[in-house]
Amino acid sequence: MVVAADAWAAAAGVAVGMRRRQAEALCPTVATLAGDPGAEAVAFEPVALAIEGLVPRMEMAAPGLVYLPVAGAVRYFGSEDAVVGKVVAAVEALAPGGRFGLADGPFAARMAAELAAEAPLIVADTAAFLAGIDVAAIGISELVDTFRWLGIGTLGDLAQLPRAAVASRFGPVGLEAHRIASGEDRTVRPRRIPEEAAVTETFDPPLDDFERAAFAARALAGRLIEAVAPTGAMPHRVEVEAEAVSGMVRARTWRSSHPFSEVELAERVRWQLRAWVESGGVPGGVVRLRLVPADLSDRGRQLRLDEDAASESDARRALSRAQGLVGPDAVLQAVPQGGRDPRERVQWHRWGEEPGVAALDPSAPWPGRLPEPSPALVPPEPRPFEVEWDGGFPTRVRLGSRWEPVLGWAGPWRQTGRWWEGETAADRYQVVTSAGAFLCEVRQGRCFLVGVYD
Amino acid sequence: MPLERATLLAGAPSAPSPDPVAPFTIAAEPGRVLGLVGQPGSGLTRLALGLLARPARTGMVAVVDVRGWLCPVAAWEAGIAPERLVVVRCADRSAWLRVTAALVEGFPAVYAEVPAGVSDADLRRLGALSRARRSALVLRPIGGDLPIGVLHLRVEAGTVVWQGVDRGHGALLRCRLTLRASGKGARGIERVVEMEDNGSHALRMVPGLAAAPSGHAAG
Repeated sequence: MVVAADAWAAAAGVAVGMRRRQAEALCPTVATLAGDPGAEAVAFEPVALAIEGLVPRMEMAAPGLVYLPVAGAVRYFGSEDAVVGKVVAAVEALAPGGRFGLADGPFAARMAAELAAEAPLIVADTAAFLAGIDVAAIGISELVDTFRWLGIGTLGDLAQLPRAAVASRFGPVGLEAHRIASGEDRTVRPRRIPEEAAVTETFDPPLDDFERAAFAARALAGRLIEAVAPTGAMPHRVEVEAEAVSGMVRARTWRSSHPFSEVELAERVRWQLRAWVESGGVPGGVVRLRLVPADLSDRGRQLRLDEDAASESDARRALSRAQGLVGPDAVLQAVPQGGRDPRERVQWHRWGEEPGVAALDPSAPWPGRLPEPSPALVPPEPRPFEVEWDGGFPTRVRLGSRWEPVLGWAGPWRQTGRWWEGETAADRYQVVTSAGAFLCEVRQGRCFLVGVYD
Repeated sequence: MPLERATLLAGAPSAPSPDPVAPFTIAAEPGRVLGLVGQPGSGLTRLALGLLARPARTGMVAVVDVRGWLCPVAAWEAGIAPERLVVVRCADRSAWLRVTAALVEGFPAVYAEVPAGVSDADLRRLGALSRARRSALVLRPIGGDLPIGVLHLRVEAGTVVWQGVDRGHGALLRCRLTLRASGKGARGIERVVEMEDNGSHALRMVPGLAAAPSGHAAG
């Protein structure tokens, strides 16, 4: 999915929201880059600083998306137009092309910013503004289809329904959707924030590189979630505070419409630390890092009856130790993605980090995919594999120092690969011997081992 | 050697019986060390992943991958949810013991490949830690064997028979493993069991030794 396009791509017809394939068809010479929120946070940091200089209590929702409570600023500058004008001028000076919206609540303001063209969109009547927006904007996918089926096509249609009836039919999720559609964001139910919920870590030597920052972010986010979770609460806002060697203290608030999970929070802290470290915001490095939760809701994840919070916490500690011993690149989790052979079908990511967007669509049919069972062992790269052939049929394979007769085989299955990128075709075989079964491929006359059915 | 009935109900209570023909269980049990001995290709990795599937229903499980070859697709097919599986790659023998010990301390079940050269004393310490922490530990030596005193149950690969392919036709469908189990978990009696793996969660016991159907390749 295209999330951003430069002026050249836009001129060729590429638009945000398009599928990558569609964009490449419109503009064959386009260079596509994978999203990197960390790098975006670094690039956005000067803009964030400029906005903070004008309006305090800024809250980041994502790199490039900030919310500003403007009531105080309006009193200070005299009018909404004056505040918007100052903010737009400050942002445009650094990063032209921004979008700005002003409304009564965060959801409506974001909608206004999305719909704003070149000029900022200032919403006078939030309910009327939201009434014409498609119901899909609420972002609760499980409800949208049902709403459409019931003839509710816009937020206005939804807002007109009696709230009690929506709550009765759809429960808390429906109630939340109704509030959003009515221009009332999540009702904040202030909960007492336990003092011990704020977590602090000090660093000696100072934290001045990205790898250590990522590690520290994960550990601290885990501690914070662990501290608030027993009460069933989860934070919607977290203040990240860092103290530099020089004594300078930087703070930034991150917010989320849904409660932060540990992984999501760790990501935000990591992005923020990277932005500060790489932009020179914490000269000499960070000596103290503190996370302060705010806006706790009671939407803490309920454990299932067969889940054990203590064991999850033990596992997290064990993995943090393992990361310390072998490095973060060696402690991995995997998620399925599309592809035909087992190596392609795995998307690895570091433990504690969000998996990236799958490069290969796992829901696509992938004709020619190897059926189950899959090889349990797959070498990182195909390894040379000696096979003796007779009339095009495999007869013996070499396993270590001995030759094993082939008792059966399946194939060849041709894989043409990305021929337009110079990849050569390969023929795949499943080969069975008395010592086990193997998946091998023949490419340019040479045979390689690509999987062991162990 | 008579074939015993066996079930692969990982985590299910095992009740070793002095009765030599009574059922026994190959399971990843809390506080027990299970050793899997056999060459690559003998089906023991899938067996180990199948053993982790039950503990993975209620918590996370870890794999120490010495060679860096483990394919999580096989784990998912064995019934382990992707978010419940963590793979720690550790080719460094000097770090292996500490990494595995850290995981044993925090996970209910760990499958660890054992690199060549790890001393028996280190493995005994690991076994003691597993018992103390009530963590199920499945060890698979990469070459060589495991010291007898460490293991509650030792499972050695016998034959592996694959079905579904024949001179270019078909595709691998299922395999039958013949395993020899011995040790305290088998009450000191060497038992021969046969398991069938059809690629799904259904690693299951086979009630009797049976030859592969004619026309199917059998290794």
